[in-house]
Amino acid sequence: MNGTAKTMIEVRDLTIGYGDRLVLEGINFQVRRGEVFAILGASGSGKSTLLKHLIGLYQPMQGDVLISGASLVRAEGDDRLRILRKFGVLYQGGALFGSLTAVENVRLPLDEFTDLSEVAKDLIALSKLRLVGLESAATKLPADLSGGMQKRAGIARAIVMDPCVLFLDEPSAGLDPITSAGLDALIRELARGLGITFVMVTHELASIYAVADRVIMLDPKIRGIAAEGAPSWLRDNASQPWVRQFLNREVA
Amino acid sequence: MPVTRPVDLPVRWDLSVQPDGTGKLVFTGELDTESTPVAWTNLESELAGIKVARLEIDVRQLVCDSAGLALLYYLSVGGMTPGANVDLTGLSPDLQHLLRSFSTEDFEALQEHEPACSPFVEDVGVATWSWLCDLRQQVEFIGEVTLGVMKGLLRPRSMRWKEVLRVFEVAGVNALPIVSLLTFLVGMVIAFESAQPLAQLGAQVFVANLLGLVMSRELGPVMAAIMLAGRSGSAFAAELGTMKVNEELNALQTLGLSPVQFLVVQRVLAGILLTPVLTVFAMYAGLLGGIPVLLGLGFPLRMVLHQIQSGLHFGDLAEGLSKSIVFGAIVASVSCLRGLQTGEGPRAVGESTTRSVVSSILLIILADAIIASLTYTLRK
Repeated sequence: MNGTAKTMIEVRDLTIGYGDRLVLEGINFQVRRGEVFAILGASGSGKSTLLKHLIGLYQPMQGDVLISGASLVRAEGDDRLRILRKFGVLYQGGALFGSLTAVENVRLPLDEFTDLSEVAKDLIALSKLRLVGLESAATKLPADLSGGMQKRAGIARAIVMDPCVLFLDEPSAGLDPITSAGLDALIRELARGLGITFVMVTHELASIYAVADRVIMLDPKIRGIAAEGAPSWLRDNASQPWVRQFLNREVA
Repeated sequence: MPVTRPVDLPVRWDLSVQPDGTGKLVFTGELDTESTPVAWTNLESELAGIKVARLEIDVRQLVCDSAGLALLYYLSVGGMTPGANVDLTGLSPDLQHLLRSFSTEDFEALQEHEPACSPFVEDVGVATWSWLCDLRQQVEFIGEVTLGVMKGLLRPRSMRWKEVLRVFEVAGVNALPIVSLLTFLVGMVIAFESAQPLAQLGAQVFVANLLGLVMSRELGPVMAAIMLAGRSGSAFAAELGTMKVNEELNALQTLGLSPVQFLVVQRVLAGILLTPVLTVFAMYAGLLGGIPVLLGLGFPLRMVLHQIQSGLHFGDLAEGLSKSIVFGAIVASVSCLRGLQTGEGPRAVGESTTRSVVSSILLIILADAIIASLTYTLRK
C-alpha cells in the first residue's frame, strides 16, 4: 500500500500490544488529508492503544506509522520533534494544566517552542480561544471551566501551533448532548475552515454520523479491522452483522 | 524612500513611503513561526522612525501561518503605525476567516486583567479562620478515630484485621532496614561527636551511658516516628487522597460505610502497634552504631556493655516506648486526616502529602516536648 500526496497518515502492517499480549495484529489503513476519521470498536478492542501508537506515545511491536510520509516510529531527536509538531492531541479530560489560566494553557506551546514576542503570543492564543468560543473565559483557571469548556480549551491548545492533524480521544465523553453537538460543530468548522485532518476515537454514534467522513471498526476477535468506510454506508451495508448492529445501536 | 533588506529569511518585504505620508508595505515569501519574530522586530524598528498617515499592506505573494497572521493583524490595527489608516489587501478568504478571530478587545481585556489580590487583613482573617476550622476538624477526627478503634477492639469481628496486617507489613516490617540503617549511623555520629568533649573532662567512658539514654528516651522513638511520617504517613495521605479524587470515598459513603471506620481505623491501629517495634529496632541499631566507635577508642566490649546496662533503667525504655505509641497514633491519624481533606485537581494529592509530613513532624516534636516536660516534673 503506497501513500499518495493526499495521504496524511499511513499505518503500515502495525502490530501492537502489551508484553506478550497482542492487541492488534498487522493492521493497515490510511487517513486522507482534511478528512475526519474515526476509530470505532467495542470496549477493549484497542482503540485507545492504537491512538497512543499513532501519536508516538508507545512503540509498536512491528510496523510503521507515517505522518505526511515521515516515519514516526523510526524518527529520533529533532526529526521526531518535527513530526510531533505536525499534530495536536486532545485528551479525554482536556488535560489542561490546573495552575495555568485558559490563555496561559493555550500559550504554553508558543512559549516553549517559538521566539515570538509577548504581544504576538497573546494575540495568537486569544485568537485560538475565540475560534473555539472561549474568548470570555481566557483568564479563568481550568477548575472554573465546565467539562465542555475544558475540552474546547484543550482543542485551542492543540491547534495553537497550526497542526496538520488533530487526534481526539473520546471528545464527547462526559458531555451533555448540546455541548457534545457544539463540539461536533467545532470539529466540522475546523476541518473545513482550517483544513485540519481529524483522527478521533469515540463511542458516540451521534458524533460519528455528524462529523466522520470515514471510520474503521476494530474487532478484538480477529485483532484487526473488521470494516472500513463511511459510517452511514457501513450501518446499512457492512458484511458483518455485528458491525451493522453496533452502528444501529442494536442489542446483539 | 524605498527600504530594501537582503536578509536570509523566507519572507521579504519592501517598505516605501511617499512624501505625503502614504506608505506601501509589500510582503513576499513565507511568514511563519520561525521568520515572524525577526520580521516583527525589524519592521517595528523600521516603522518607528517613519511618520506614516496611510499604510497599504499587500500580501498577495505571501503565505503565512497563525504567527504571520498575528503580525499582519498587529500591523492592520496600527500597532506599529499609531494613528495611520491601514489597508490590508490580497489576503486569501481562508486567511481572512482566521484573521477575524484576532481581536484587539480580547487583547486589551487580557492586559487589563490583574489577578485578584486580597488585602492583608483579609488574608490574616481567612488564614485564622482556616486554622480554626482545621483544628475543629482534627478534634472531631480524633474523636471519630478513637470511637472507631474502641469499636473495633470491642467487636473484633467488625475490624478488617487483614488490612491491619497489610499496613503493619508495608509500613512497619518493610521500613525496618531503612530505620535500622539511619539510627545505626546516628548512633555512630553521636558517639563520635560526644567522645571529644567528654575526653576533655576525662569521662570518655560515659559516651556509652549517654548513647544508651539518648537512643532509648529520645532519638529512638523520634527517629522511628519521623521515618514513619516520611515513608508511610505520606503514603497514607496519598492513598486516601487519590481515593477521594477518584470518588472512592463517595462510593463508600453511599454504600453506608464510614471512610474512617473502613480505611482510617486500620491504619491508626497498625501505626500504634508498629511504631514501638520500629522504636526498639531504632534503639538497638543506634547502640550498635556507637559500639564500634567506643571499641575504636580503646574500651573493651565488656566494659561498654556494662556502662550501657548500668546507665539504662526500665523507666527510660518505658518512656521511649510510651512516646512511640503516641507518635505512631499521631503520624497515622494526621496522615489519614490530610488524605481525607484532599481537595480537587491534580495538585491536591501532592499538597495533602506535603501537609501530612509537615503536620506529623511538627506534632511529633510538640508531643515530644510535652512528654519530656511531664517526665522531668514527675522525676523530680
